[in-house]
Amino acid sequence: MLATLRSATLVGIDGRPVRVEVHVSTGLPAYHVVGLPDASGRESRERVRAALLSSELPWPMQRITVNLAPGGLRKTGAGFELAVAIGLLVAGEALPDSVVTDLGVLGELGLDGSVRRVPGVLALVDALRRAGVRRVIVPLANAAEAALVDDVEIWPARTLAELRACLEGEADWPAIPALPPPSPDRGDGADSEEPLDLADVRGLPTARLALAASAAGGHHLLLVGPPGTGKTMLARRLPTILPELTREAALEVTRIHSVAGHAPTHTLASTPPFRAPHHTASTAALVGGGSGRPSPGEVTLAHHGILFLDELGEFAPSTLDALRQPLEDGIVRIARQGMTLAFPARFVLVACTNPCPCGLGARACRCDRAQRSRYGRRLSAPLLDRFDLRLPVEPSELDEPPGVASAVTREQVMVAVERQRARLCGTSWSHNARIPAGALERFVPLSAAAAEAWLFLSGARELTGRGSARIRRVARTLADLDDRDEITATDLATAGVLRADIAVS
Amino acid sequence: MSSRGVTAAAVLTGLPDITHARLRALLRRWPDPVDALDAVARGATAGCFDPPVPAATRRDWHTFAADTRRTAAIGATVSARGTRALRAVDPAFPIDPELIPDHPAILLAEGKRYDALDAPRVAIVGTRAATPHGLDDARSLAADLVAEGVTVVSGLAIGIDAAAHQGALDAGGLTVGVVATGLDVEYPRRHRSLYAQVRASGLVLGESGFGIRPEPRRFPIRNRIIAALADITVVVEATARGGARITAEHAMRYGRDVFALPGSRRNPAAEGCNELIRDGAHPLLRNDDVLLRLGCTPGSRRRPTPAPARLPVDCDAARVLAAFAGEPATPDQLAHRSDLGVGAVALALCTLARDGWARSEGGHWWPT
Repeated sequence: MLATLRSATLVGIDGRPVRVEVHVSTGLPAYHVVGLPDASGRESRERVRAALLSSELPWPMQRITVNLAPGGLRKTGAGFELAVAIGLLVAGEALPDSVVTDLGVLGELGLDGSVRRVPGVLALVDALRRAGVRRVIVPLANAAEAALVDDVEIWPARTLAELRACLEGEADWPAIPALPPPSPDRGDGADSEEPLDLADVRGLPTARLALAASAAGGHHLLLVGPPGTGKTMLARRLPTILPELTREAALEVTRIHSVAGHAPTHTLASTPPFRAPHHTASTAALVGGGSGRPSPGEVTLAHHGILFLDELGEFAPSTLDALRQPLEDGIVRIARQGMTLAFPARFVLVACTNPCPCGLGARACRCDRAQRSRYGRRLSAPLLDRFDLRLPVEPSELDEPPGVASAVTREQVMVAVERQRARLCGTSWSHNARIPAGALERFVPLSAAAAEAWLFLSGARELTGRGSARIRRVARTLADLDDRDEITATDLATAGVLRADIAVS
Repeated sequence: MSSRGVTAAAVLTGLPDITHARLRALLRRWPDPVDALDAVARGATAGCFDPPVPAATRRDWHTFAADTRRTAAIGATVSARGTRALRAVDPAFPIDPELIPDHPAILLAEGKRYDALDAPRVAIVGTRAATPHGLDDARSLAADLVAEGVTVVSGLAIGIDAAAHQGALDAGGLTVGVVATGLDVEYPRRHRSLYAQVRASGLVLGESGFGIRPEPRRFPIRNRIIAALADITVVVEATARGGARITAEHAMRYGRDVFALPGSRRNPAAEGCNELIRDGAHPLLRNDDVLLRLGCTPGSRRRPTPAPARLPVDCDAARVLAAFAGEPATPDQLAHRSDLGVGAVALALCTLARDGWARSEGGHWWPT
C-alpha cells in the first residue's frame, strides 16, 4: 500500500515542496526513511510509533519505507512526522485514500500524539501554495501564521486523534486563533520595562536630525564620539521613530524570523526589526552561514529594519569587511557544497564608535599615534564610505533643553516616508538612500538655484561623484522631513555637514 | 676631514656603550679620530676616562675597532652616503664647546646645504600627538622664520617636528634635522621622504654611528643637541611629560631663550607649554617675537603675503565663528552656542569653510 502526501522543507529561508511517500508491504517489520533526511528525520520512527499508539491508532507490523522526494534535496527538521503518520494511517487503510489527495501536511509529533509547532511555517506554506497545494494541515500553534498566506485553506491540528476524526468528517476543525496583536515594545526587547523616548536625550540637534533622516530615508548612520555622550542612547531610541512596515515587508520579516525560530513568532511583525549584535559576534553570526544548514545571520534578521553595531571599532576587521557586500547588494550569498543560498539583507546600518582606543578623541586624546592608526585601520575606507551620515557626538552642554519627543519626530518621519513612497512608487527602490546615481537626475532633481548655491558653497571642497551623490540623496530626505518638494541650498549644506570627513583616528 | 677620518669617526660613534662624555674624553686626548680609533684598537685608552671605563667595555671596544672588515664596510657606507663628520675641535663646529659642556664630540652629517649651519638657528619642537592647530602653528612659524633667512632645527619626529620641517621646506627655506638613531636608520619609517627632502634642503645630523636603532633613552640625549644648536627654542605644543619639555629644559640650562605657545588649560597638548611659561619661558604671542629676539627686523625679507580672506559679513556665519571661541567644535555644539538651527549652522559652516575661516577635520570643525 502506498500513500503520497505533500510537505515542505526549509532551504535557507525559503521553503521547498517535498513529497512524502509512505509504503507499507509484507516482510519483516522494519522502518526506513530514505531521501536525505537529517538526524531528526531518522529519529522519526520512535515519535511516529509512540504517537500512533498513544492515540490508539494502528501501527502496521509490516515493512515500512518512507521516501522524501526529491531524493537529491537535503531535508531538515522533524516537520515530516505528521505527514508520515497520516500516510501510515492511509496505507494501513485506517483512513480513506481520497482525503489525502494533494493535501499538504506540516508538523512534528509528540509521544502523546500531540502536534507540535515547526519553524518557518510561513515559508513552508507559501512553498506548498506555489506548488499548487490548496489545503494544508498545520500545527494549531502555527495556524495563525500560516493563515497569512492567501489562497490556501488552513486546517489546524491539535492532536493526531482529533486530526483523524476531522479528516473523517466526524468532528469539526478547530478554529484558527486570531493573530495576537503586535507586542507593544518597540525596542529590541532588551530593556523594554521603561519605554524608550527620544525626549530622554538632551541636546544633540544634529545627531537627532541624522537619526530622523536615517529612519526616513534608509541612510546608513555612523556616530563617533567619546563614551557617555549619548550616541548609544540615541541609537537605541531609533525604533521609536521608525515607520511601520508595509504588509509585504511585514510578511517577509515574519517569514525570516519564523525560520530563524525566534520572535516575533506567531504574529505578524509590524515594526521593523532592530538587531543589536554584540561586538564579539563572528562573521557567520553576522552575515549568516554555519555548518550544516546555513542559517540566516544578523544582517538577514535585520532585513527591512536596523542593524545596530555598537562599538564598531571593536568588531573584528574581517567581520566588518564581510558587511560590505550585503550593504551594496542587499543580499547575502552563501555557497555550500552543491548549493548557493541567497538571504535577503536590506538593512540600515547604524553604528557607534569611539574615535580612538581611549575614547576621548580630538583634543583630549591620550592615545599615541600607533594606537590610533591601528584602531583606525579596523574601519576600512570602503566601509566608512558606505555611511551617508557620519557625525561626531560630543557631550551636550548642561543647559541644553530636553530633546523633542519620539512621537513628534515620528510624525515627521511618517510624512517623509509617505513622500518617499509616492516618489519611488513603481521602482524597485524602497528608500531615497537606494536611488542609484544614474537615476538621481530624474528622482532628485536640483533647481538651478540650489545647484548653483551648492557649487558656490562647496567651492574648493572636493567632492567625488560618489560623495556628492550621497549628499544629494540625504538632502532629498531632509527636504522630505520638512515636507517640501524643493531641495534648497540649506538642505545640501546640511547634508554635507552631516557627512563629516571622519577618519576614525 | 679626510675620508679616513670620517670613517674613523663613524666607527668611534658606533662603539658599544660609548657615551658623549666618553667620546669627548677620547678626543680630548687624541683630537684626530684616526688616532683615537688607533688607540682604541690598541687598547691604549685606560687612563683617559674619569670615571674610568670598565675593562670589559674597553675589551669590547678593542674587538669592535680591531675588526678591519667592519671598518672597511663602514668606510664604504661613508663614501656611498657622502657622510661627513664635524668635530667639536673644528672652528666651524656649530656648537660652542666652551658654552655647552655636554656638547657632542662628533656630529655625523648628511645633506646638501652645509650653509644651513651658518644662519641663525631656531628650534621648533613639540609633541607627537599634536592637534591640527598646533601643526598649523608649527608650519606657519617655520615659514615665517625661513623667510627671514633663519634655519629651522627640529627632530624629524611625527607631529610638530615634521610640521616644522615641512613648513620650512614648503617656504623654500633651510632646515636641519637632528636624529637619535644612526643616520642610515631613518626612523620613523613613514618619514623617509621627509628625510630625503631635509637632506636636499639642509642637513640631517646625529651623534650615533650607523645602524644604531631607536631606543627610548636616546631621544632625551639627542634633544640636548637640538637645544644646543639653536639660538632660540620654540615649543609649539607639549604634553606635561614630553620630550619637547626636555629640549626646553636643556635650552634653559644652556642659557638660551625659550618660547612656548600658550594654550587652553583644557588642551592636554598645551599643558607642557603653559608650564614652561610659568617656569620662565617667553609666551609666543606672535611669530615675529622670535625674530625680534634674534635681532632680525621682521618683514625686511618677507615676501608679501596674500591679503587675508574677507571677513564674514553674513550674520549667521559671524555668530557661528564666534561660537567656536577658538576651539574645535561639533555642529551640535555650535548650534547650541549660537542659538541657530542645524540648517543655518550648516550653511554658515559651508560659507566659513569656503572663505577659509573654518575647516572640518576628523569630524570636528576647527576655526583657522
